[in-house]
Amino acid sequence: MSDLIPAAIKDRLAGDSEKTRAMGESILLALGVPLMVVLGFGAYAIWHETADLDSVEASALGWAEVWQAIGEHVQLTVVSAAVVVVIAVPLGILLTRPGFKRAAPAVVGFANAGQAAPSIGLIVLLAMWLGPGFKTTIVALTVYGLLPVLRNTITGLQGVNPTLVEAGRGVGLSNFDVLRRIELPLALPVIMAGVRTALVLLVGTAALATFINGGGLGGIITAGISLYRYSVMVSGAVLVALLALLVEWLGRVLELLTRPKGI
Amino acid sequence: MTTTESTDSSSSRTSGSGGEISGAEIRLEGVTKRYPGQKTAAVDGLSLTIPAGEIVMFVGPSGFGKTTSLKMINRLIEPSSGKITIGDQDVRKQSADELRRHVGYVIQGGSLFPHMTVAKNIAIVPKLLGWDAKRIDKRVEELLDLVNLDPGKYRDRYPRELSGGQQQRVGVARGLAADPPVILMDEPFGAVDPITRQRLQDELLSIQRSLGKTIVCVTHDIDEAIKLGDRILILQEGAQVAQYDAPATLLADPANDFVSDFVGSGSSLKQLTLSRVSEIDIHPATTGRVGEPAREAIERARSAGDDSLVILDSRDRPTAWVWLRQVQGETLHEGDRETLTTLDERATLNDALDTMLTSSHSAAIVTGDNDRYVGIVDFGAVVDHMRAIQNEAQDRESSKVTAESDPEDHHDENAPMDDSGSADE
Amino acid sequence: MWQFIEDRRAQILINAFNHAYLVVLAIVIATVIAVLLAMVITRMPRLEPVANAISAVGLTIPSFALIGLLLPVTGLGATTALIAVTFYAALPILRNAVVGLAGVDANLLESARGLGMSELSSMFRIRLPLAWPVILAGIRVSMQMSMGIAAIAAYVLGPGLGVSIFVGLAQIGGKNAVNYALVGTLGIVIIALLLDLLLLALGRLTTSKGIRV
Repeated sequence: MSDLIPAAIKDRLAGDSEKTRAMGESILLALGVPLMVVLGFGAYAIWHETADLDSVEASALGWAEVWQAIGEHVQLTVVSAAVVVVIAVPLGILLTRPGFKRAAPAVVGFANAGQAAPSIGLIVLLAMWLGPGFKTTIVALTVYGLLPVLRNTITGLQGVNPTLVEAGRGVGLSNFDVLRRIELPLALPVIMAGVRTALVLLVGTAALATFINGGGLGGIITAGISLYRYSVMVSGAVLVALLALLVEWLGRVLELLTRPKGI
Repeated sequence: MTTTESTDSSSSRTSGSGGEISGAEIRLEGVTKRYPGQKTAAVDGLSLTIPAGEIVMFVGPSGFGKTTSLKMINRLIEPSSGKITIGDQDVRKQSADELRRHVGYVIQGGSLFPHMTVAKNIAIVPKLLGWDAKRIDKRVEELLDLVNLDPGKYRDRYPRELSGGQQQRVGVARGLAADPPVILMDEPFGAVDPITRQRLQDELLSIQRSLGKTIVCVTHDIDEAIKLGDRILILQEGAQVAQYDAPATLLADPANDFVSDFVGSGSSLKQLTLSRVSEIDIHPATTGRVGEPAREAIERARSAGDDSLVILDSRDRPTAWVWLRQVQGETLHEGDRETLTTLDERATLNDALDTMLTSSHSAAIVTGDNDRYVGIVDFGAVVDHMRAIQNEAQDRESSKVTAESDPEDHHDENAPMDDSGSADE
Repeated sequence: MWQFIEDRRAQILINAFNHAYLVVLAIVIATVIAVLLAMVITRMPRLEPVANAISAVGLTIPSFALIGLLLPVTGLGATTALIAVTFYAALPILRNAVVGLAGVDANLLESARGLGMSELSSMFRIRLPLAWPVILAGIRVSMQMSMGIAAIAAYVLGPGLGVSIFVGLAQIGGKNAVNYALVGTLGIVIIALLLDLLLLALGRLTTSKGIRV
């Protein structure tokens, strides 16, 4: 959410109270979320076993189907996240290198504009162009998830204290070494925050994959709608929500783990 | 309560000069403020009377309770115990909001609301009190004029378009807007440069002369306190009253080591800050009016033996001070009043020296009420006066020493014989 | 494609209008709710981490999921769409409103009290106006997000240009499928741009000159 708040205001809040506020929020989320997810899933499982499902519902919500949908959804998220990182991070690095700095605003602007398009519209159009299915969904998700990671990579690298870079060169490190051992580690927290944002975006957008035969938990929701069974609709919705929360939490954990010691 | 009558008339303000007293008396009785979880009270049993129409300065090192005490007067901080009255009325009688609308409050930097124009800022309290638009407009004009800001130019400006000194002036105007009997100020002149600070201090003195409000002002600057205060309250830890006296008494008879260290008393140079410009010889210079034919003015100056000319506007305020050879054109032009450095009559000799150092005339224009021209004061006169004071002080010192060597005969009217008064210096 | 648009101009315009109307309505409601909540939270700072956490969690839940959850309660149609869009719209606005209100210089607030303004008066005449630029930034983000969510909601018979996208999807392979989808998508992009410009203009109008950056 950091991109929502103008930098000037964020600076103002810097100080002890901000730290305790942020900590309170982090703790709440770090503990509360997995707890919610576990409880939620447990509650769902209990309901599933004890509820009286008619034949239609039972077949739509069979555990085999559910696990398959979850698996597909996770696959979509992870694969597209990987593609996003593989494209966006190097691109971000490139755009902060001396020769290419000028191109940065244009590229970021372009990516920004891409975000203005509605996700469902993008997905459908891509399916029309490339044909429906898993691969197309990955393309769509990648386009959508690109911006947060790209923007954060650029911001993160730009935020590294230039004197440190200079010190690195001064000690005899090559450009590549400086990047690898100084710039990237220091920019990592910001980049990981971007990855986390992207992950949430991807999990959410993957719910739409079902519309172009990409699989995923969205399928259960649509099944519920076409079968006109509330239990199925809600099941799908709850499962997607729980998965999204879990992914977000994992993202935060990842962020914390990759934070270099000493920062 | 230590309300010593000041014997030094030059530093007491006879509020009758210029205007009536419109201030009210403030009384603090056993006021205490204790914060939960803290062993010592921030303010412990403070009692004092602030006479109507006077400026009382609260001075002391940081953290000694001066701002806390100030804020209890308008209930921004509620006392843990004790009573505060303004004009005989307990401040708790009305709601805090209602109270504050009748007490001016000016803090450092002016604290103007950035999203409102100057006029809107000043109009806040009158609006809260339900004044009608016309009355408010008139008042805004009056006040801007009072603080030396051209209403036409400044009423629709936004705070960020003003300099620090101008913002502070608007802050003062805002505090005065509803014509409250009491004004509280918290380090009002701290955020500006020394030259602007001096001007603002002078203007406050000038305003006070015509209005006679009761002003309580917190400052950490003892020089400012001496210059502005009719009385000074020096606070020790826990807002304990170290001394509460007129400036002259403070310098001459500090009550204890703390006070004398803080005030720097014994230093005769500090006495400089006590003498006012009005005590030195102010001599008249040749003046001319805006629009007057230049030749006549130049002739007048030449025949009086002056080589410069003070140009006054229609309200007798100096707008420029030019060398005769600089005068161009047929008529005298109005200068820029805001860039012309002047001295208020009540300014201290300290200020006088500062001003003269920056002026090209090695002298300074003295102004009185409403910025009206009074005369010129020059460097020589200041030096003579300083020398005279020094001699006086030295005489006093030597007479003290002789008094001590004859303990039976001399009953000293000064402070009791402890180490602080005589040993230092 | 132009012939396509020409032929269906009326329908497209109606959809466009509905889409814009839905989003604007949702944003207005969301702003009111979010700002009121933020004012409460400003009085009770302890609630702030809770509010932020709820905001973060809320934004994590996929919009399609929320729609699925609402269906049993509010059925198909515009109501569900409105509730879903409003929910998501409120979250960034809430976060920004809390930050914005908290970011107002404490000295100014003390001055306001010192002059005799009541807490409520100070909130409305000092705090909110000064926090407004930050709140507006949140509204802009909300609006962009809402555009996409409203489109998804068309699946459950919500109004707007999303309808066009889903029609295209249903006819995939057909003659006009791409046109439908394209018109829907581009139309949303255009409206998003227009509304953003309008918000910017509104921002300039409603932000005091004294604090305009």
